[in-house]
Parts: sequence; C-alpha cells; structure tokens
Amino acid sequence: MLEGVNAIETHELRKEYRGRAVVDSLTLTVPPGEVFGFLGPNGAGKSTTVKMLLGLVHPTAGRAQVLGGSPHDPAVRARLGFLPEQFRFQTWMTAEEFLRFHGRLAGLKAAELGARIPQVLETVGLGGRGGETLGGYSKGMLQRAGLAGAILARPALVFLDEPTSALDPIGRVEVREIIERLRGEGTAVFLNSHLLSEVEQVCDRVAFVKRGRVLQQGSMRELMGGVLPLDVRVDHLPPGLLDTLSGLGELRHTDTNTPGRADVELWLDHEDAIPAVASAIHAAGARLYALNPRRPDLETMFLDLIEDTPDSSARAARLGQGAARA
Amino acid sequence: MRNALLIAELSLREAVRKRLVSVLLLLTALFLGFYLYGIVRLEGTLDQRSLEAGLDGRSLNGASNLPVIYSAMFGMYLVYFLGSLMAVLSTVGAVSGDIENGVMQSVIARPISRAQLVLGRWLGFGAVNLGYVALLSAGLLGGVYAITGYLPPEPLAATGLILLATLLLTALTVLGSTLFTTLANGIGVFVLYGVGFTGGILGSIGTFADTPTLTTLGRAANALMPTNALWLGASYHLQPEVALQVSEAARGANPFFADAPIAAGLVVWAVALTVLAVLGATQRFSRRDL
Repeated sequence: MLEGVNAIETHELRKEYRGRAVVDSLTLTVPPGEVFGFLGPNGAGKSTTVKMLLGLVHPTAGRAQVLGGSPHDPAVRARLGFLPEQFRFQTWMTAEEFLRFHGRLAGLKAAELGARIPQVLETVGLGGRGGETLGGYSKGMLQRAGLAGAILARPALVFLDEPTSALDPIGRVEVREIIERLRGEGTAVFLNSHLLSEVEQVCDRVAFVKRGRVLQQGSMRELMGGVLPLDVRVDHLPPGLLDTLSGLGELRHTDTNTPGRADVELWLDHEDAIPAVASAIHAAGARLYALNPRRPDLETMFLDLIEDTPDSSARAARLGQGAARA
Repeated sequence: MRNALLIAELSLREAVRKRLVSVLLLLTALFLGFYLYGIVRLEGTLDQRSLEAGLDGRSLNGASNLPVIYSAMFGMYLVYFLGSLMAVLSTVGAVSGDIENGVMQSVIARPISRAQLVLGRWLGFGAVNLGYVALLSAGLLGGVYAITGYLPPEPLAATGLILLATLLLTALTVLGSTLFTTLANGIGVFVLYGVGFTGGILGSIGTFADTPTLTTLGRAANALMPTNALWLGASYHLQPEVALQVSEAARGANPFFADAPIAAGLVVWAVALTVLAVLGATQRFSRRDL
C-alpha cells in the first residue's frame, strides 16, 4: 500500500468485558518495518490488543488503524500475518493442506502456493514434514506450522503472540532469525511476549503494559533514559585517564580493589563514543581487557515498572538521583 | 462468494476426512439393508396369502397392498427423522466448535468476511445433509420399488419437502452455533424439532377431538418450527388414494400422516425461515468477539 504509512496506529483504544477494562486508553504507533515488542505480565491485555488489531475483537471505544486502514477491511487483513497464542488448527489437515487453505483464503494463486509452501515450511524448520497431518504434530511443530502460516502470504505486518511458548531453545533462536529476516525484508513485526530476553534481542522498540495500560514505550535507549552503560576493564589506571574518560561520558563507578585490574563503569550518551574510549585508554598506556557496552537491562526495568512504579517519571527521577550521587 | 465456496469446500473435505461420510454411508447401507429385508419378507408373506386366497395377484394401489404402502411411508418418515438428526448432529459445532477449539482465530484473521464464513459453513454442511437425505430417499423408495413394484404417487415432491426440512434444520443449527456453545446448541435445536413434532400431535388431537384451541396451538407450533409440517406435507404426496381414504376416515388420529397437502404459505415460510436463520447467523457472528 502506501509507503510511509504507519503499520499500526491506535488512539485511546479500550476494551471492556463485563464492565472491566482489559485494555485501557491504549495509544500506540508502530512505524512500517519496525519490530515492536509488546511486553507485559499474564493478563495484561496483550492478546486482546492483538485481537483488536486483527479485527477479531471489537473495541469498546477508541480507534485502531492497521496499514492505514481498518482491521475489519478484508483488503487490509490480506496483508497481515498472525500466529495466535493458542495455535490450534484443523487437526485433520496435513501441514501442506493447512497452508494451502490459508494461502487461498489470503488470495494467493495455486501456482504461487506450490512454490511458496515448501519455502515457508523450510523456513520454520518443517521441511519434508508437510505431508503429515497436524493431529500428529507435537506442540512445537504446531507452533512452527502456525508461524509458517503467518508469514505465508508475504505480509506487510506480522502479529506473533507468544511465538516461542512451545519451542525449545533452538526453536527460539530460529524464531529470532525469522523475525530478523522479516525485518530485513521490510516487514513490520508486532511481538507479544513476556519473555524479556526474546524481546530484548530483536525489538527496535518496546511497550510495557500492565492491566491494559501502557506504562512506557520507546526504544531500549529511550527507556533507559538515553544512556548506554559501558563496562571497561584495564590492568591499571594511569593518571589522567579517569579525567579523560569523564570527558567522554559520565563516570559512574570505579573499582580498583583487585590488584592488577581496574573496572570502570561509564555511561555514554551515544555508542559513537565507544571507539574514543578505546583510543583514550590506549593513549594513556593502559592495557584494555574488556570494553563491554551493556544492553539496557530489560528485566530490571520490567520488574520495576510492573511491580510498583506505574509512573514513568518516578523512574526517570530515580535515574537522575543516581547520577547525582555518582 | 469465492471465499464462501472455499469454506464450503473445506466443510465437505472435513466431513470426508473426519470419516463422517464413510460412517454415514456404512450406517445408511445397514439401515436400508435391514429395512428392505423386512419388506422382502413382507412381500413374500403377502404374495403367499394372496395365493392361498386364490387371487391372481394384488393391485399395487389397492387396499390389499396397504402394508407395502405404509412400509414405504414409515420408511420415509425414518428418512426424515434420520435426516433431521444428521442435520443437527453434523452441523451442531459448525461455528461454535471452531471457536471453542481455537481454530477460528487464524481463519478470521484472513481476508474473509464473517458472513462468508457462515454462508460457507451452511452451504458445506447443507450439501452433506442434503446428499445424505437424497441418497437415503432414493435408496429406500428405489428399494421398495425393486422389491414390490410399488412407487408412491409423487416421490419427488415428497422428497423435495423433506430436503427443505433438512436445509431449514441445518440453517437453524448454524444459527444456534453462532449463539450458543456446541452442547447447548444441540439441545436447543432438538427441543425446537420437538416443538414441531408437538405441533403435529396437538394438531391431530385437536382435529380428532374437534377442539379448536388445540388445533390453533398445533398451528402455532408448526409455524414456529415448520419441519414437522413439511414432513406431513411430504406424507400427503406419498399416499395413494386408498391410503388417503384411510387417513380421512381416521380424522387425524395418526399424527404421522396428513390427508391434505401442505399450505403453500408454510412452504414459503420455511424457505424464508431458512434464509432468515442464515442471515441471523451472519449478523450474530459478525458482532461476536473471538
């Protein structure tokens, strides 16, 4: 469709079941081609949100636009892929029949499907197993088949609801690779998950939800207050090195307790400063053992947010205080 | 429409793959075999008696052939009953079953409208049920004809009305499966079927006992659920003159057979109710959260 149209836009989206809000004032924007992580504990309203974005559930109030149109418009849904949290499919079908049926529903031609089905089966690791009935599949294989269905029609936006819940560690890595490949092809991905590591590794941006409300959203960097923690280990600290480093970033912590080594934690504003840190250490004559940009720790943030601080300003304030103490 | 046909095709394949069709064919063969064997024995006995009585043969539409005539009619009543049973049981989870087991989500996320899905389910299961009733009717009447040489006066009109009743029940069951759980739906539609049958019984007692109130109640139940009225209409077309005279003499004492054709208005109403049920199902399903 139109280039530059946001993959998802919601405004004050709300869903009530028997008077209780499951999703409340949800306002989200997912640009095209972005991998967006939707994080929250069980019962936070993640699946209901996805269902509203797919037209499966009717919102009580608010507005949802997907690929520039309404999810109730079949033409819009033709460009969506969906792996449901409960990946249950017609057990009497073989995987190939299942994909053929879904491909035909999505409007693919028979010839196209003939080429595409073995391709997606291969992608999800079910190459050569397409002739077996789904009734004989294990849970993990069913989830893979569902994933194959989600990416079958080359969608512009894919919803993956807990896509690795039934997969072993290898399967999880494979799903991550599939998501990365989708990103490479310009496909937007909306990833519902409570697995922080999964989201952390693939998502461009994340939103935290709790009780149907978005507590915070943004890139990992933004959520961390825009800083990039860097762990540095050198053999010793030559005079002046710390001063040079404080010029490059915010010096947070220094540990020289262990003889023959010194650890420094530095908060940088931007990752472009990392090479400069390396050069500075080298120029000062210290030997560099480790230079480790630390990913924002999603788990800590998640626990903080979910447990007691629904207010994002509280966290920002705490970060600010921390900086002041150092 | 393409999508509705795709869903209908899926429903047909589902019926074949879940062994519904093979079980049906087997049971149909058993039922027909059993029933027709009875008729073979009946025919032998009747022939024997007419021989013993010194008669050359029996008139096919005469009183002496009434046992065969009634065998064909009760046989067709069983066809109607089995067709109704099949219409409800095969279709009872047409929509609700797929919602309950989670299959529906991934289907409705595709570019298919919910109306298309409901229509496709009705068409698919309707085709299975109609095929079943048509096969059973042809097998029964054809079998009776092959054994005894007797064919009811208007077999096509009679079968047509039974097929309409089957299609109506299929539509009501599809509607029920968008409203209730699979179990509740099955119970509900059977109760409705019972209402139709009750209507027939009340009507016939009303006529027999000359009690207008009962007749009115019967008529109301028949209007609410016209399947039994459709069967009674079919039974009229299955009776030769001699059987109709018996029915008339009985003044409605037999609630299974009618001595008058079905009112055209009731046939129109049954068709309208079928269409309304499917439309209602599409409306209801379109509003439902999955």
